[in-house]
Amino acid sequence: MSPWATIFAAGAITYLTRASFIAVGDRIGLPPVVERSLRYVAPASFAAIALPATLGGDRFANVGDDWPRIAAVCVASAVIVRWRNVPASLLAGMVTLWVILAVN
Amino acid sequence: MSGFSFDRRVFVTGSKDIIAIGFPGIPFGMVIGVVIAESGIGSFVGWVGSWVILAGAANLALLELMAEQASTAVVLLTVAFINARHAMYSAALRPRFTGFPRWFRYIGPYFLIDQVFALAASRPDEMAARERLWHYFGSAVTLWTLWVASVTAGLLLGDVIDPDWQLTFAVPLLFSGLMLLSITNRPGITAAVVGGGVALLTTDVPHGSGVIIAILAGVGAGTIAETRSEVTA
Repeated sequence: MSPWATIFAAGAITYLTRASFIAVGDRIGLPPVVERSLRYVAPASFAAIALPATLGGDRFANVGDDWPRIAAVCVASAVIVRWRNVPASLLAGMVTLWVILAVN
Repeated sequence: MSGFSFDRRVFVTGSKDIIAIGFPGIPFGMVIGVVIAESGIGSFVGWVGSWVILAGAANLALLELMAEQASTAVVLLTVAFINARHAMYSAALRPRFTGFPRWFRYIGPYFLIDQVFALAASRPDEMAARERLWHYFGSAVTLWTLWVASVTAGLLLGDVIDPDWQLTFAVPLLFSGLMLLSITNRPGITAAVVGGGVALLTTDVPHGSGVIIAILAGVGAGTIAETRSEVTA
């Protein structure tokens, strides 16, 4: 397949996945247990993305060891739990990483 | 659909709300732009792909696989697995979009980036339906613009950000924060611990399918924990 065909096929897959339940709207009903389970989609998904990117993952911060990344996530987490402010937590986490890399 | 006429005030609120959690995507989008330039698939087709696919992790995997001349089947399978979580997002948001006009149900999902989902899912039902719709679009269009601009900047300017700044680490920091903000009860903690733990164990599962396995495990564990806590309560 040409790159164009591959990219539009990938876009179509992504769109259909995102549209799946929203597009059918009110015409279907999910079993109550499934409906209740959906409130855990956000915590489970975001944890499944964040953890492998922090532990053993050089993709997002190529700093060798895991511990500077773990320390940065811990500081950012403390800030978000205390103040519920995303930009402040990101700044705190990045500064933590920079300080560790600077003194290490 | 006069009941859903444009609401400028809420649209602007949605736009502002998404910037707070959308800006970590800027360095990530720029990386995608740089990878497009290096992938050899062609700058224009790669650039169009960034807003046709509109999903960073899947887009990055697609570019790497295409650069390695992987088969089309492998490329598309990987995109499908990495983006399978969006079906869960779609299911989770469906009740909030009940009674929305048909055009929204077809156009809205195109913009369902992780942060747009996080914002839409976190907004309680205190907003009226019309406000929910325009808040969603305000956040969606703003993040779309930010993302396409970032990819374009990376493509045109190249590696202008010093890699020593490690700015892409804002992405895992962001998702850690979104995870914590999304936990509203004890079963939510279970869902996050199991989802994250299984994701760590399944990083080597082929074609990026570990993520959806981990999410299903986390959602299942959270639901079981909730059921058990109700039984004992």
